Amino acid sequence: MPAPKWLQIAKNEYRIHTSRIRKIRPYFPYMAIGLLAVYVAFIAPTFVNLFIGDFFSLFGLPPSLPPEVATAIVAAIMQIILFMIFFYFIILPITYTLKEVQTGQLEIFLAAPIKPGDVLLGEFLGVVPFYTIAVAVIAGSFIALLNPLALDMAQMTIIIIIFAVTFLSALWIGTVIAATLRTRLGKTARGKDIGRALALVIALPMIAIMYAVMGGGLIQALVDPGTSEMVRAVLGLLPSSWGAEVIVGFALNPGNISAIWLETLARFGGLIIFFLAALGLGAKVANRAYSLETITFAASRAKPDGSFYKTVKYLGGGGPFGTLLVSVFKDYSRRLENLSKIFYMVGIAVLMSIFFGIGDPEGALLMPQFILPILASFVVGEVTLRGKETLFIYKKTPSGVARLVKARLLHGWLVVLPITAVIIAVSSILTPQTTFFSLLTYAGIVVLYLAAVVAFVLGLSLVNPAFSDKSGNYMINQMITIFAIPNGLFLIPLIVLGRAFDFGLLHVLCYVTIPLSWLVGIVFLYLGKRRLSRIE
Amino acid sequence: MKVVIRTDKLSKHYGKGGGIKAVDELDLEVYEGETFGLLGPNGAGKTTTVRLLNCIIKPTSGTATVNGYDILKKETDVKRVTGLLAESPGLYEKLSANEFLEFMGALYDVPSNILHERINDLLKLFGLHERHDQLLEGYSRGMKQKILIASALIHDPPILFFDEPTSMLDPRAALMVKDLIKKLADTASKTIFICSHILPIVEELCDRIGIINQGRLIALGTVPEIIAQTKTKTLEEAFIAVTGGVEEKELLAWREQKGASA
Repeated sequence: MPAPKWLQIAKNEYRIHTSRIRKIRPYFPYMAIGLLAVYVAFIAPTFVNLFIGDFFSLFGLPPSLPPEVATAIVAAIMQIILFMIFFYFIILPITYTLKEVQTGQLEIFLAAPIKPGDVLLGEFLGVVPFYTIAVAVIAGSFIALLNPLALDMAQMTIIIIIFAVTFLSALWIGTVIAATLRTRLGKTARGKDIGRALALVIALPMIAIMYAVMGGGLIQALVDPGTSEMVRAVLGLLPSSWGAEVIVGFALNPGNISAIWLETLARFGGLIIFFLAALGLGAKVANRAYSLETITFAASRAKPDGSFYKTVKYLGGGGPFGTLLVSVFKDYSRRLENLSKIFYMVGIAVLMSIFFGIGDPEGALLMPQFILPILASFVVGEVTLRGKETLFIYKKTPSGVARLVKARLLHGWLVVLPITAVIIAVSSILTPQTTFFSLLTYAGIVVLYLAAVVAFVLGLSLVNPAFSDKSGNYMINQMITIFAIPNGLFLIPLIVLGRAFDFGLLHVLCYVTIPLSWLVGIVFLYLGKRRLSRIE
Repeated sequence: MKVVIRTDKLSKHYGKGGGIKAVDELDLEVYEGETFGLLGPNGAGKTTTVRLLNCIIKPTSGTATVNGYDILKKETDVKRVTGLLAESPGLYEKLSANEFLEFMGALYDVPSNILHERINDLLKLFGLHERHDQLLEGYSRGMKQKILIASALIHDPPILFFDEPTSMLDPRAALMVKDLIKKLADTASKTIFICSHILPIVEELCDRIGIINQGRLIALGTVPEIIAQTKTKTLEEAFIAVTGGVEEKELLAWREQKGASA
């Protein structure tokens, strides 16, 4: 009798995901299980004992808590953690699918005698082993944290099942949504673009929760009995919290499961029923999730140029260069992926302002040094990503290379600098004691700095061109932008000059960071232009 | 002669109120053992027809039978008797040729005692046996096409659908695919349904052809019959005559505009 189809598909998925380790594939499960066992039995307990103080201080809790109190706090944190696992495992397959929406393999499945439910189940089971590793690490760490309570075997087993069911439910929901989105988005270029745009911004709620935990006092609110009720009531609506409530019950009644058997049965049972219902519903929607039916034939149409593009053309001198600049703008802004990157960075900046409040007006200058170069990298760092052929169009035309560099630089400035000014203005306004003059000064300083960073990133992207966002060069350029610029041009001079000459933040920015960044920017831009002329 | 594919007013419409007719009341018969070519310009409805006949999508109206099975009622049976080489299929690039064919065989329930031998035979036939354990990502386009053809043959179906089998290939690989299709038709007695817009391929390989345009079948018969019907001299002329083309005098009309030259 042939093996079930879902098993064949799961096996296939497993093979795809382990193709890089084909030589050790037969031993991989044993190695993974062995390593995880060592982690849960030895490494996690040791690690927890060593770093429990740092762990609490990360969440703004006093490090020298007695074990019983610490464990009670951990139980409260559990609700947040399980919620985050739940959310994370829902968005993970969605993000993975949306980054590169492909429907090619769908045709293989749809042409074969297989039920869509088998495909869905197979795709899901094929990736479960890999996600299980992450969950085992998280679950192992929490069991180590709960060790001082001396929970009995039954309680420990139920906790492990809670972790497994929460994660499996979330992953299943994520897989079903991902399959449905793939079908809806994968057939058109516009759909694929929407997918890539969503893949990035979908992580923002998760980041918001993380920032709320780290800097927003969410954990303190949960531990405090007075304020925790509302947060817990809201989170209690989610199935992830039903399991967390069971764990909290165990933490309060260690070794005595019979004292809370009714609550345990209701919540644990609820979680299991939710999982089974999700499985059933997912299997039902599988028919819709796997389809090659064309959804729309409507092609995106370009509208006549409005006042925005007319202004851009005017800024570009009106003539052929103005037209070129407008074309660069259109090509950039009609990709939702690019707009979502801008939205993402603005979102991060806003979340940081909310959860990591800025104490004084100069503090408003600090955050942009680290965040905004990434925005510059998103905007101008993609200059070569469409491939050599696009660059050759410019190389073929008279003075094409110079005009491309000029157009991309202007484009970068016109996109990045207004956003920078607004972010600085808003974060300065949120800061007490900010005057209108200081607001203007700070916005001017950061805009001047970012203008140089845009030039540098553009130059760097041409010196070290990346022809796909998966290329190593793209990663290197991103890393240089994210780490080398803020540290090399700002943080290190601040530390060195601050110690040697008692330079403040504003002095370093005005006398060192800005001149240095302009120097580096101009040099790289020149080198980038030369390199572009020689690209073959 | 036994009819193995029969369509009966087969239609597939899209858009509001079914305004876009991808396939429109298609009536067609393909006989057992023949190589049939469906010819048409881009967007004519060739791929949609193949997808309908392989039960990948459902018709808006009408129906069809494939090897006697109704595409609306006997989906699984239809899928078992057909092999499909899709126009732009997704290949699992992180699998080796062996693994991919093993997977495809499992999807079509090929018993494992037969499967491995068949994979070996197919890989030898396509000259890829030496590379059986290499990941497909390292294969050339022609080699990938060979693997996809092998995957369409893995369950040894009596009916094969080839959607644009040579459009992405260089002349050498295209010649190989052409020879293979000939061999399958002549020695393995397969019924072959080819979709293409490359006229010489269809002309050389097909016993009969149908020309489809805007979802409607506008010509049907052997190549000489179609040339005679259209009162032309070649298949190319016949194709242009029935599907429409740009008039010679229109070709350079743009140059007559004032200031057109740089």
